Amino acid sequence: MLFHTWPFVLFFLIVYPTYLALKGTRFRLVFLLAASYFFYGWFNPLYLVLIFYSSVLDYIVVARMAKSRRRKMWLSISIVNNIGLMGFFKYGGFVTENLNFLLSSLGVTYTIPAPGILLPVGISFYTLQSMSYVIDYYRGNIERENSFIRYATFVSFFPRLVAGPIERAKNLLAQLHNKSTFSKEDISDGLSLFIVGFFKKVALADYMALYVDKVYDAPEQFQSPALILATFLFCWQIYFDFSGYTDMARGVARMMGLRLMLNFNNPYLATGLGDFWSRWHISLSSWFKDYVYIPLGGNRKGTFNTYRNMFLTMVISGLWHGAAWTFVIWGTVHALGRFLTRELERTSFYKEKVPKIIKQLLVFLFVTFTWIFFRAESITDAWVIVTRIFNSGLANPHCPLLALAFIFAVWSYQFVYESKIKWVLELRAVRIVILVLMVLYLSIFAASSEQPFIYIRF
Amino acid sequence: MDLFGNKTNRIQKKNVSDIQDGSFSANAFDIPFGSNCVRLSGCEWLAVGIIFLALFYLGPMLWGRSERIEPELDYRLPYELSNDYWLYNRYCRWAWSRYETLVIGDSVIWGHYVSEHNTLPHYLNEITGRNQFANMGVDGIHPAALEGLLRYYGQAISGKNVILHLNPLWMSSSKHDLQIEKEFHFNHPGLVPQFVPKIPCYKVPYSKRISAIVERYVPFFSWASHLKIAYFENMDLPTWTIEHPYANPLKAVTLVLRISGNHNQNEHISWAERGIAKEDFPWVRLETSLQWNFFQRSIEILRKRGNRIFVLLGPFNEHMLKGESIETYRKMKIEIAAWLQRENIAYYEPAALPSEFYYDASHPLSEGYAMLAKQICENRPFGSSILRSSSNFATPNRD
Repeated sequence: MLFHTWPFVLFFLIVYPTYLALKGTRFRLVFLLAASYFFYGWFNPLYLVLIFYSSVLDYIVVARMAKSRRRKMWLSISIVNNIGLMGFFKYGGFVTENLNFLLSSLGVTYTIPAPGILLPVGISFYTLQSMSYVIDYYRGNIERENSFIRYATFVSFFPRLVAGPIERAKNLLAQLHNKSTFSKEDISDGLSLFIVGFFKKVALADYMALYVDKVYDAPEQFQSPALILATFLFCWQIYFDFSGYTDMARGVARMMGLRLMLNFNNPYLATGLGDFWSRWHISLSSWFKDYVYIPLGGNRKGTFNTYRNMFLTMVISGLWHGAAWTFVIWGTVHALGRFLTRELERTSFYKEKVPKIIKQLLVFLFVTFTWIFFRAESITDAWVIVTRIFNSGLANPHCPLLALAFIFAVWSYQFVYESKIKWVLELRAVRIVILVLMVLYLSIFAASSEQPFIYIRF
Repeated sequence: MDLFGNKTNRIQKKNVSDIQDGSFSANAFDIPFGSNCVRLSGCEWLAVGIIFLALFYLGPMLWGRSERIEPELDYRLPYELSNDYWLYNRYCRWAWSRYETLVIGDSVIWGHYVSEHNTLPHYLNEITGRNQFANMGVDGIHPAALEGLLRYYGQAISGKNVILHLNPLWMSSSKHDLQIEKEFHFNHPGLVPQFVPKIPCYKVPYSKRISAIVERYVPFFSWASHLKIAYFENMDLPTWTIEHPYANPLKAVTLVLRISGNHNQNEHISWAERGIAKEDFPWVRLETSLQWNFFQRSIEILRKRGNRIFVLLGPFNEHMLKGESIETYRKMKIEIAAWLQRENIAYYEPAALPSEFYYDASHPLSEGYAMLAKQICENRPFGSSILRSSSNFATPNRD
């Protein structure tokens, strides 16, 4: 059940009024948990076994940790279990494939059978969220959650279940304790967030996908301009797709009086790669910072170790996105980019002399380049795209001007949003006109999209 | 601090500091709204709602006034606009005000292999000497879809004389009857029942089914479909711009509808000349036929709306039948005729036309239509139920 489809609209039209009716009662959480499980089970009822198991195990681990001196052992059990689950379902095929390649390279004729397991939707997101609860408790940052219903609701809360944001117990679990955070503004704010996200996904991301898919499905048939434009459009497609999902998730949660964290903050206006990662998929970046980078030593143990930790974190982050070498390369290229620019970004020359627009452009170009590895079907395809960008003809790309006009409009909006004339966008008439136009466009022209969100497959 | 210890931007810094505070106070949940200004208050949402409702209601209405239908003689809906149900609805209203009798059916009525001047309604008009029969045929509209078309888009024709064509082809196999379990693409899926009664071969996602239902009940959405079908080559705007990357979409909206052309016109080649072999059609049983059931429902809808109904049964190309299928077909026709009699519905069951007058199993060629029209006009129930009910009845031209 995806946010931009009719089944979700019907689901929410039933769930929301019931939730409001139960708001002040002890049945609120039970209902929210049941609704979340129904939402998740809609994808495949078998997924429920997995999320239930994951929730039960981490709940028990923390309960045991509270009474035991062997806290580290319980922590290890949780981490091994969570990473094991993710590894088994997400990386089983990848590992087998690479082992088979290795065996055949060594002349061994035996082939390990492929596991053929379906990747459960959202496993990468709720596993990290559940794991963060255990680690935070171990570190003494949060209290133990006594109610299993509340904890299971925290893990499975349907708006954020399949593609984040990856919430922390401090934020979401704490809000589930609070019954009085709901206001009328939550409804209007939630609706605003939802419509903007809906527009991003259906009108923009799915539109860009039409051109991107055409080119990236057969890159050898296209020349430099088409490959550049497809990469440029993918850069925006993935932003609209993922931030659109997040906006809708935050909107739905907000209408229910629950506030999910900001996950995207105009990332293509970043002035450095560090800045980019503080604006892109914020919930994942901060998760990796807190639970990987800092435990590895962060920047406390000298320059070499700092760079090593950065490198490892970025590569793991790349691998988190998908079980393919293209994602590893994507993470590695980002790590290398960060190596090369970290010191530069600290210099007074870069800070004071280089115009902001140049910095933004450089970051955008670098990030766009890295998306080639993220989007390409294989390393071979990525290589074909990179080489053909520089070594092919200049055939007419036939890129729709309307798509470019949309991107120009959004980019301009974001520039104004972060400028001194932001007040223009805050004018009531401007806000209303923008919203009416978005809804009208969606109603009349947008495709009846059923394209899944890109990040759901992670 | 960001992932690698750099300063974060202002919004995120506040966010992180709130969360890292560790307290569960209300301030800890003061999470930034977002990274844009499209944030409306309740009153502003009300304003948006009013504007949008006005556009929802007025948009299609005003559009209908500016985009004129000026059908010429023997007009029929253009083939390319067969799925444009909003336009069909407008055409119904227009036909109601201009014609005495509306001829409704699938491509046999529409005239798939003939020009608009060689269709059954044309010859009926020619023989009766008056332009009183409207071609309301829609290409590919099988009975299950026709029922939906009449129910949701054909309210405007209430009270009129209706010649309703039943093409037996739709019962000639389980597949035509939509009864097979294997999914296949059939015409006009948006018009068939989306959930109940269940159509075994219709297996689209719930999302599409609900979209189809919404479109039936909200004219704004059927109007939006009209824009796509009439001006964007039956594509949504994004797909159209992929096909026409440098074209201005606004220029495509010309407010001029296509005229009723026909690219499939192929008038004088009979099925035998085309080398089509005889077939043993696996007819479905009438009592279990979905299409027959939907045809009965269509009659019920028209009756409730006060239409005077005349059913035209066939003429199917019996020359194409072989083996047991001839007998089965004849038995089926008898059963249909018996039901129509029981229900007191005027009907005509013409004998098969000469073999050379058929293009395929069910479509007559122009000579076939002319002959059929003549036979219909000579039919007594037709004269008493349709022709005489017209106050401006003119003596049929028997030439």
